[in-house]
Amino acid sequence: MDSKEESKKRPSEPISLQLEKLLDQVRKEPTHLNYWNAHKRIQKLDLESLKVPDEKKIKVALLSSFTIDPLGIYIDIKSRLAQLHPEIYVAPFNQYQQEILDENSRLYAFKPDVIILAVQADVLLNEKFYSEFVKLSEVEKYQTEILDQFQTIVSMLTARTDALVLVNNFIVPSFTPFGILDNKADSGFRSFFYELNQRLAELYKKSHQVYVVDLEGAASKHGKSRCLDPKLYYRGSLLFSESFLPVIADEYMGYIKALKNLTRKCIVLDLDNVMWGGIIGEDGIEGIELGNDSPGNAYKDFQRVLLSYYNRGILLAINSKNNPEDAIKAIKEHPHMLLREKHFAAIMINWQNKVQNMIELSKKINIGLDSMAFMDDNPREREQMKQSLPQVLVVDMPSSPFLYRQTLENLNDFNLLALTEEDKKRGEMYHARKMREELRESISSLEDFLKSLEMKIVIKYADDLGLPRIVRMINKTNQFNLTTRRYTDAEIRKMKEARDKFDIYSLQVSDRLGDEGIVGVAIVHKEPNIWTLDSFLLSCRVIGRKVETAFLAKIVADAREQGVSTLVGEYIPTQKNAPVKNFYSSHGFEKLLQKGNLYRWRLDLTKSTVKMPEWLMAKNE
Amino acid sequence: MSSSIDEKLKDILTKVLLLDESKISDGMSRKNVEEWDSMAHLMLVSEIESAFEVTMDDDDIMEIQTVGDIKKTLKKLGITI
Repeated sequence: MDSKEESKKRPSEPISLQLEKLLDQVRKEPTHLNYWNAHKRIQKLDLESLKVPDEKKIKVALLSSFTIDPLGIYIDIKSRLAQLHPEIYVAPFNQYQQEILDENSRLYAFKPDVIILAVQADVLLNEKFYSEFVKLSEVEKYQTEILDQFQTIVSMLTARTDALVLVNNFIVPSFTPFGILDNKADSGFRSFFYELNQRLAELYKKSHQVYVVDLEGAASKHGKSRCLDPKLYYRGSLLFSESFLPVIADEYMGYIKALKNLTRKCIVLDLDNVMWGGIIGEDGIEGIELGNDSPGNAYKDFQRVLLSYYNRGILLAINSKNNPEDAIKAIKEHPHMLLREKHFAAIMINWQNKVQNMIELSKKINIGLDSMAFMDDNPREREQMKQSLPQVLVVDMPSSPFLYRQTLENLNDFNLLALTEEDKKRGEMYHARKMREELRESISSLEDFLKSLEMKIVIKYADDLGLPRIVRMINKTNQFNLTTRRYTDAEIRKMKEARDKFDIYSLQVSDRLGDEGIVGVAIVHKEPNIWTLDSFLLSCRVIGRKVETAFLAKIVADAREQGVSTLVGEYIPTQKNAPVKNFYSSHGFEKLLQKGNLYRWRLDLTKSTVKMPEWLMAKNE
Repeated sequence: MSSSIDEKLKDILTKVLLLDESKISDGMSRKNVEEWDSMAHLMLVSEIESAFEVTMDDDDIMEIQTVGDIKKTLKKLGITI
């Protein structure tokens, strides 16, 4: 009766405006009460009268073994906040199986675009499973039983609808009857669920229709003790607490947004107090906060997450009010910048309006404003952007940089339902395009290119920390491997101890892209006056960057320092190591006699040497 | 103090049962408020419990039929409105 009266009071107010007002209430104060209220009141509006384009419509069906209505409320409101027009169907309590099996059920009549199938492990297991678990043997068969049940109903859904099917994995219980011995038991209680989740993920890894939503992960993130409200659970079979509902709803929204192409492709960043602390124009490159100490480390961490997104194919761009020279210098030269010029698809640093910059960025990169997210510490800039370009996702930045990383990580607007190799390389491709345009003439030689990589190498004797990686490389490397001699962990450790007979070197490479870690290993057999390269190998990741020359040069330099006159290089050809066939000859070695398939080359250290390539910055450790 | 308690209760009733705040009366009951179904009842109880930091007895929850009953139950828990 009240809603009728209310609509009488403002007969002229359009539905869309009433809808916005209700959503505003949630935007301002996203409490459980406001979600409930907005959802219920919106259902009373004459939504049919709204003219909604098909691409904004979405039908979501929820099927569950517990009371899932509240999740429906959150998905409804969160979809609306994302400019979608959802219709929600919640199947009657614990009737998910009937609804799926019965071809004439309301579920199928509803014609959902998305089906959320939320089932607890409990209901799929025998009642005695929990209490008797400790006595059970061959627990895998219980996992198989659960997965079989799952597969049966899910395959029916995929056969009968084209809907995206979202099944959840299982929350690994915090409790185990084994206590501290859970992972020592033959079949631990928690292990049971970890394995079950793994097998479930494996089951649908290749599916383009069925996705396993990481309920376990969301619950861990939120805190398992806070996910369930015992009162609501025992009184009303509600599995998700008030505080957990928005978290798990966001998890599902990630899929819904991806399905409806609401994916953001580009993060547009301000510089001062976003990428670093302070103002570059005033504080200068030495004065800004960015590094390994607080608060500079928070900015660096934020950049690290951005870089991980970049590597997955999210484009980055800059929109900043600054003197371009100051800002670019910091991006290029600040030792702790993880993001350099090449990571940005486009850069707008000037004194003009940021809204104008945004429009130009969108043109430069050739993506829509609705694909862009904007991160700026200044609330006024954000407000202006929101008002002028509502299509842009303006991120509510926290006032403390300590929370930047978390804010970025919590955005679920970058999801795709499938990730291709091209996606992962998108950032590089955009940059390459930009580079080609800018530097087409200036880079003419390989050496110039290598110089531009700002490569740094560290060559040192093998230490305990690097040993596992070294052993793995020795046993895995095939292409750039001169002798392909394999050694066990124990053998390597023995050689490492015999310092008078052997030197084991490791090579680490880093460049502007990041640290590659250990990518090269050499074993030198030392005899009076003669050193022999027993093994010399390099990861294919760094082939073609001439780091092998640097590696060899370091060994040569060490040998000369020890007064050694001859360095012998050994080479055993295999089917795979053709790339190293000319390694010694190209570095000035002379051929010695051949023994079987062992080729030996010699470098006379009294006459010749190997020079360190000048563009490499070698660091001794 | 008691008025702020009343405000809290009013806010919950208004939002859960979609009522007009000025029209809330003790006589409103599960029978004559359309929105007051079992799900709303559970929501109502849960919101009131957390707002007033109390736990109601399950039997009392079952017996609540009107707004007045809610106040009575709260009174039993030491909260006077």
